[in-house]
Parts: sequence; structure tokens; C-alpha cells
Amino acid sequence: MRTVRLLAALVPAALACEGVIRDPSARVTPTRTDARVASDAVADSTTPVAPFEPGPLTFPRLTNSQYRNALTDLFGLGLTIEPAEADTNPFLFTNIGASLATVSQRGVEGWERTARAVTQTVFSDPPRRMTLVGCTPDATDTCARSYLQRFLRRAWRRPADAPEVDRYVALARATTAPGDPWSGLRYATVGALQSPNFVYRVELGEENGGRRKYTAHEMASRLGFALWDSIPDEELLTAADNGSLSTEEGVRAQAERMLRSPRARAGVRAFFVQYLGLSALDHLSRDAAQFPQMTVTLAESMRKEVELLVEDVVFTQDVDFRRLFSQRQSFINPELGQLYGVPYPAGASGFVRVDLPESSQRGGLLTTAGILAITSHQNSTSPTARGRFVSERLRCEPVPDPPGNVQFDLGQPDGGARLTLRERLERHRANPACTACHLITDPLGLGFENFDAIGALRTMEEGMSVDASGEINGVMFVGARALSERLATDPRVARCVVKQLYRFTQGRLDVAGETATLEQLTRRFEDNGFRFKRLIVELFASEGFRFAAPPSS
Amino acid sequence: MATKSLSRRTILRGTIAGTLASVALPPLEAMLDSHGEAYACGTVPKRFGVFFWGNGYGWLGRGRPDTWTPSGSTMWTPSEQLAPLAPHVANVSVLSGLEPKTAIPATPGGQGDGHMRGVANALSADRPRPEGFYHPDHIFALSRPTLDQVIARHPMFAGMCPTRFRSIEVSVSNNRFHDYGTWTCISYNGQESQNLPIRSVDQLFEQLFGVPVMGSRENADRATVLDAVAADARALRARLGASDRVRLEAHLEHIGEIQRNLRASAPMCMAPSRPSRPGGYDGSPGNELLVEKLEEMARLLAIAMQCDLTRVFSIMFTGPGSQTVFRAVGAPSGLHQLCHENRWDIAKAATIFTMRALARVLDVFANTMDVGGRSLLHNMVMLATSEFSAGDQHEVNEFPVMLCGRGGGTLRGGVHYRQPAGNLARTHLTVLRSLGLPFDSYGFNGAETNQPVAEVLA
Repeated sequence: MRTVRLLAALVPAALACEGVIRDPSARVTPTRTDARVASDAVADSTTPVAPFEPGPLTFPRLTNSQYRNALTDLFGLGLTIEPAEADTNPFLFTNIGASLATVSQRGVEGWERTARAVTQTVFSDPPRRMTLVGCTPDATDTCARSYLQRFLRRAWRRPADAPEVDRYVALARATTAPGDPWSGLRYATVGALQSPNFVYRVELGEENGGRRKYTAHEMASRLGFALWDSIPDEELLTAADNGSLSTEEGVRAQAERMLRSPRARAGVRAFFVQYLGLSALDHLSRDAAQFPQMTVTLAESMRKEVELLVEDVVFTQDVDFRRLFSQRQSFINPELGQLYGVPYPAGASGFVRVDLPESSQRGGLLTTAGILAITSHQNSTSPTARGRFVSERLRCEPVPDPPGNVQFDLGQPDGGARLTLRERLERHRANPACTACHLITDPLGLGFENFDAIGALRTMEEGMSVDASGEINGVMFVGARALSERLATDPRVARCVVKQLYRFTQGRLDVAGETATLEQLTRRFEDNGFRFKRLIVELFASEGFRFAAPPSS
Repeated sequence: MATKSLSRRTILRGTIAGTLASVALPPLEAMLDSHGEAYACGTVPKRFGVFFWGNGYGWLGRGRPDTWTPSGSTMWTPSEQLAPLAPHVANVSVLSGLEPKTAIPATPGGQGDGHMRGVANALSADRPRPEGFYHPDHIFALSRPTLDQVIARHPMFAGMCPTRFRSIEVSVSNNRFHDYGTWTCISYNGQESQNLPIRSVDQLFEQLFGVPVMGSRENADRATVLDAVAADARALRARLGASDRVRLEAHLEHIGEIQRNLRASAPMCMAPSRPSRPGGYDGSPGNELLVEKLEEMARLLAIAMQCDLTRVFSIMFTGPGSQTVFRAVGAPSGLHQLCHENRWDIAKAATIFTMRALARVLDVFANTMDVGGRSLLHNMVMLATSEFSAGDQHEVNEFPVMLCGRGGGTLRGGVHYRQPAGNLARTHLTVLRSLGLPFDSYGFNGAETNQPVAEVLA
């Protein structure tokens, strides 16, 4: 579960934005010069872009949160919904894992068990089942047919065809116990919830000039899962029924509506939690002797702060996304206030939005305790991990993995004065095998050295005052705020978040033919003042999201 | 035979004291002939298991003494790290000096970071996916089924008398290197198809014993429901691309498996009482009750095997690249990190802790009386292994391998066999032979061998 926290430094590359996808064979250890040239090329973006070619179809199973949300949308709150099997998040996103993994025996058993448990709850509650079914079953199939037509449309995100309805009506008939007319409807529901039409996202498109165009109902499904992490609501299905989701304008209109719903906040939060790897905070472990103030609740607070910060920038203020890196306000509760040395307002409760003092070295996402903690070791900071986070997560520039025999032990020299981590890393970089990658990461990460492994400010290390100077793009800076300001205007950062949101919503990696879409989205993001909600709408309206390549046979 | 007069119920009560409410006559007993020996499906069944721990052992070399390799060759003398296994020497053979022989592709990143080279070789006798394991087209490292599934699916293993569960996978420590794929699982049906482990004692109990009585109306209805589900899947199949079709086929196979179980008429064991430990076993890093959880899982597995609910299991004590915090031996942080910090002392202490845990599993299996009057351990082959020898350097020479149990009499036990730079895949061939499966050779991509370790075979 917890994982990423110490590992940015040695985790295999999936932690990365994974730039290898276009050419896996090109993944070689860069020299310093290569790295420079590569990053400059990205920034200038002068390379000609091939015309758009749609990416492959996917056939993802529902992630656990989608499954849970879908059942809640279908039946209401108060159900016990157990995940069928753990999600997996290659390339950062559970949506991608859901497209690639094969469900296990255990997973299929879990779907079966949950479908029975949920329907048991609903059907053993007369008012509740009446609300769901809408009629009283009798000896004829009339009620069953009308219920199943409605239920299948909602659960499967499309109208069921006649043979399908017949199949489920017949199932209801076959499983109706004598004297219990509801039992067959329950079993038919159990079946509908185990059907591949429910547990997978069947979005296969239809032939459209040599490519596949997602049908209106498939678009309703795609929008629902991408923005609400759940099945479409009635309005989306209606927009699908009347065909308006077949057009770009129709998609835009629904996207705008969906963004106004509070559910969009949950969807965007899900993206950022996965993109930034915040679930590492759920299992954060710190050396108790060094960090006695570290508690489970503090780690929860760290995560909450980042979520609130994102929500504030994206929804409440609806401003330039890059404000995330520079904003001088953040969200604290008493525990975080203490860690930050920021007074918690008297009489307040829970999280409050506060102004950080102008003198504070804190400001923006990168100086939140959450990000600082997940990029540290259990007992020390890791400029390497922090630099890798900036390079890979924020700029989508992968850093090669360390060799298998990597030594984290940058031990103090025998005898003589003790050295700071900065000094020890410098000695480590003298090893030619380590230089190339550490020259990418360390100059960025050393700028955070005035924050310890749980994100508290520190001024001294090994009896010496902390040097928080670093280097980005060949320019020196001092401290994370200065770095953050440079990152905010770094075109790679905006480009990178576009790419990651694209992967999250598509549930797969982008492919070469989609570069044009990504470029266009990045341009529009900029034209729209880098407002994240605009990016979401543009992404949904893009050809990349509405078209796919035909499946390989 | 002496044990025949002993009531099976008594044996169960005695061996799993405290955890059982009552146990019905297991089907195995019912199937025995009047001599209590011949089994309706053949002889007394053999069981196969895997005990895996992550990140190797406290290494030797680089100035460190060898505290891993046992001495002697018959009734070996435990080394410091194997000391906890001393009571079980007669039932454990140690293979030392072996190493993977699979080819390493020249492609950069072709073997990932080494962890998966070790895992794939240890469990499947093959290399991991040669393209590297973070790849747009696949997310799992292994190229083929792991040994447990090769065995579980072999027609001559349980084919004539399929058990309710083809296999059961469990994991103990929740401190995993990563949350995804390759790091969460050590059992594969093939490419991109894992058998994810059950991670809690409660879930294991639920899986094994929380099932309704066979032959009920409810079971029949559930199976009928699955007919409709399978019809939906078949209708969809033709519309999918090749790789997604494979995924859906696997799903269909799982549906068929559930139906087979629901429609089976065999009796089954009555459930032991539900394990209940206030607070559970799964604490924060460093606060997991690893041995207690392992032992409880082993007990439940033992009952399941005694009742012939399954014959194959795997236990992932700690995951590949183990990040388990062995606080009990003074580890300040996760094992993987400590290995790379050159903390040989901690790696060694964690290994001793792990061997102590393994010894508890052996205790449970040795104390569980099986059909035919021998212990479950006697009738079992359990491969205990890791993905490395030395975690600090990701080394795979001097691979850790132990064959526990006596394979129902096919394994001698107590043997230490040493072959420096020998082929690790000999292990797998030895296991397959000890289970009576007709493999002439085993191993892939450079690891092929037709030489089982005859010295450990009876």
C-alpha cells in the first residue's frame, strides 16, 4: 500500500510520467548534455507534429471507486460494497491498470458476492425495492420487463437490446421462488451487475470513415467515468438517447453541466491524488525517534491540505492552474498549523484557509508537508527523490532508475567533520556511474533542503546552516519558493499535466498519433489562461476523446 | 494402521485447538476405502505450496561471513540464519549455490531492475518479459504461469478430482514495494493474469468457509444467473480486439469455475469458528503482527487442505522488494531501503525472523494430521524462496531454496545439496517430479534442464 514515499529515488520507472512509450528502445541513461538538449527541445516545441491518428480502444473493468460509485448511484447510500480485487496503478493511474489487467478468479468471485449482498439489502427492504422496481411483480412478465428495461439501461449505460431484455426476463422467471415474486427480480439484478456490460466499460465505437467513433451512449459513459468516476446520470443518458452527445457541441454542453456538479470535485480530486501519488500518505512511516510529532492524523491532514489546495485553485477560484505552485494561501488545521508554525485562528474548527506570512519560505504545492513527506526517506530528506518528482511528475521528463546495487547509504566519512546531505551527495556524484542521473535530480531537489522529511522548516543540519540553493535550467535559485515560481512558468509543467489528465481520462498511455491532440490541448489550455476546468472541457471535446482506432484482430 | 482407530474429529479438535467449533467428516475420509489408504481419486493427495519472502537474505561476501548456507549434506546443520528451522531439518531439504540461467536480453531495461528477474526465475523458471516490465502493452512482469499454477492446472495433479479451489493465495505483510501488479502478487496463470492474494485473515476465512451449503436452491439460482452473465460475455467477445478477448475469455473461465463449484454435489467441511483477534493483525508499518497473522492463515489453509478444499497454496510472507518494517528486530525502516543502506545486520536479523515465521508454518502443517495417518507436512511439497540472495546488490547467485515436506514420501528430507553456479530451474523440475508429474525437463530461455536434484528425491 504505502510505497512511493521513499522510493521516488529507486522506484522502477512507472512512477515516472514514462516518456518511453513512443520508443521504448530509446530509454538509455542520458548524459548531462543529452538531458539538456532533450528538455530544451520540449520547451521550444519546434518539432513538426504528425497529423492526428486516434489511439486504441480500451476495455477497462470498473476501478473499485467506479464500481462503488456506480452501485451507490443505482441503489442509494448505506450499502456495504467490498472491492472485488485491488486496483493496480501502472503509469500512475488505476484507470490504466483497469484497461490492462485481467480480472482474477478472486475478483470475479468478489463481483458475484457483492452483487448478491447489495441486492439482498435492497430487495429485503419493501419500500426500497418498490422505489427501485416501480411495480409489483406478478405471474406475468410485465413488471419484470419494464423494470429490467429501465435498470439495464442505467446499469449498462445504454438501452439493452431485445434479446438481452428477453434473457434477463427469462432469468427472473427461472429464479423466482414459489411464493416470493421478488426473488426472480433480485436474481436478474444480480446477473445484470455481474454482466460484462456492467463491470467493464464497453466503449467500442462504430465505424466512421476508417476509424471508430464512440456512440452517443458510449460518450455518456466516458464522460461519467472521466469526470464523476461513476456511471452517467439520467440527463447524460437522455443526451445520449437524443443523439446530442454525438456532436462536439453536445459534449461541451454536458461537460459544462457536469463541471457545475459537486461530483466533479471528487473526479478532479481523484485525478490529482493519483497524479501526485498522495495515497502514499495513507501509509506514511517515519522514524519515530526522529519525528515524534508524526502521527496518522498528521499524514491525513497533509493529504487533505493538498486536496483542498487543488480544489481551491481549480473550482473555488477557477484561476490559472499554475497558481498551485505559487499561491500564498493554504489550508491548515491545528496540527498542520503547528507543523508550519502558522497560528491557527481562534474559534475556528477543521481546515481553514490562511495567508502564509510573506516571510515564510512556504507557498504552493511543492512546499506542502504532503509533497515534501512523500518525496523523503523514512529518516532523512531525499533531494534525489524530490528532484525526481519535479522532473518526472511535473515536467514529464523521466529519470532512469538507479542500478540494482544502488547504495543509499551516503554515510558520514570516517573521522573528521560530519557532512551535510548536500556534501555527501556531492561525493556520491563523483562516482561516474551515478553522475548522469543525479545531475538531473539533485540540483532541483537540493532547493528543498530547508524542509525536513515531514515537511517542517529547518535551518540547521549537522550543526551547519542549511543551504537550500539549487539550479534549474542552468539558473541558480535559493529555496523551494523560487523553484516553484520558475516551475509555474515552465511550459513543460502545463504540457505535462495535460498529458497526464489525458492518460487518466483515456485509461491508457497516449500514442504517437495523439501528439497533435496533446499539442492542441496545451495551446488551448494556455489560451484559456491555464484554467483547469477549461482544459477538461477541451479534452472531452477533442477528437482524441471522441474517436479511436479500430481494434486489432 | 494405528491412526485408523483415531476419530478424525478428535484429531482435528486436538490439532487446531481453540479455532474450531466443529468439523464435519471431511470428504477425504468418506472417499477412503476400507483400508483407509486408497483414495477414490487415486492415492492420498499431494499438496504443493510456496512460501515466498522478499529481498533475499543477510548476504555473504563483501566482507560478510556466510551465515546462510547450512553445513553437512545429510541431516544438515543449520547456519545462523537457518537456525529457527532446526526442529524441522528432517522435513526440509536445502539447495544452495543455484542461480538463474535465463538469458538477459540486450534491450535496455530488458530485465527491469532485477527484482523481477529474481521473482520470475524463482517462481516460473523463466525470465521476465523481455521488453522490460513497464511497457504500454503489459503491466505484469512474468511471461508464463508460476510453478503453483503449472501444478494446480496439470491434469495429472488434481484433474480427476478437482478441488473446490484450484489454489489459494495469501499474503501476510501489507508493506508492499508498490501497489500495482508485479509487486502485489507471486502467482500467475500466464501473461497478464494474476492470482492476487487474499490479504486478511477474515477474507481468507470467508473465502474458504463462508460459503453456503452445497446443493441448495440458492446455489442453483446463482449458477443460473451466471448462465445469463456468460451469454452476455459470449455476445461481447467477437467485438473485442485480440488482447481484450483474451481477458474476457479468462473472465468466462472464472465464471465457469464458480458455476462448477455451485453445482458440485460434494459435501464440504463445516467451518471452523471465525478467527477473531481484537484489533486484527494489520497494523501500520512496523506494527504488523506478521507471525501471528501468518500462523492463523496457515491454520486455515491446513484445515482447507485437510478437507480437500484445495491442494495448492502460496504464501507471500513479504512482497518482492520487501518494504516490511521489521521493528521486532530493530529495523528503523523498510527492509528494501535498509539493504540498500548496506544494513547487513538488519537483513540478517530480518531473515532469522522470517525463518522463525516459516518454522511456525511448518509446525502447523506438521501438527495437522492428514488422511492416511501422516501429517499434512509429510504429504506436501512447499518451495520456500525469495527473489535474491543479496538484496543490497540485487544478486541472484547463491539463491535461497528450501523444499519443505516429504511429498508423500517422494522427498528424502534433511538433505543439503550444494552445486555452486548450478541451474536454479533444477528446483522446479525436482518439485514437479516429487509430485509425480511427468516432466522430462523444465526451465526456459536458457534455464532448460533435464536434471532434477536426485539427491533430495527418495
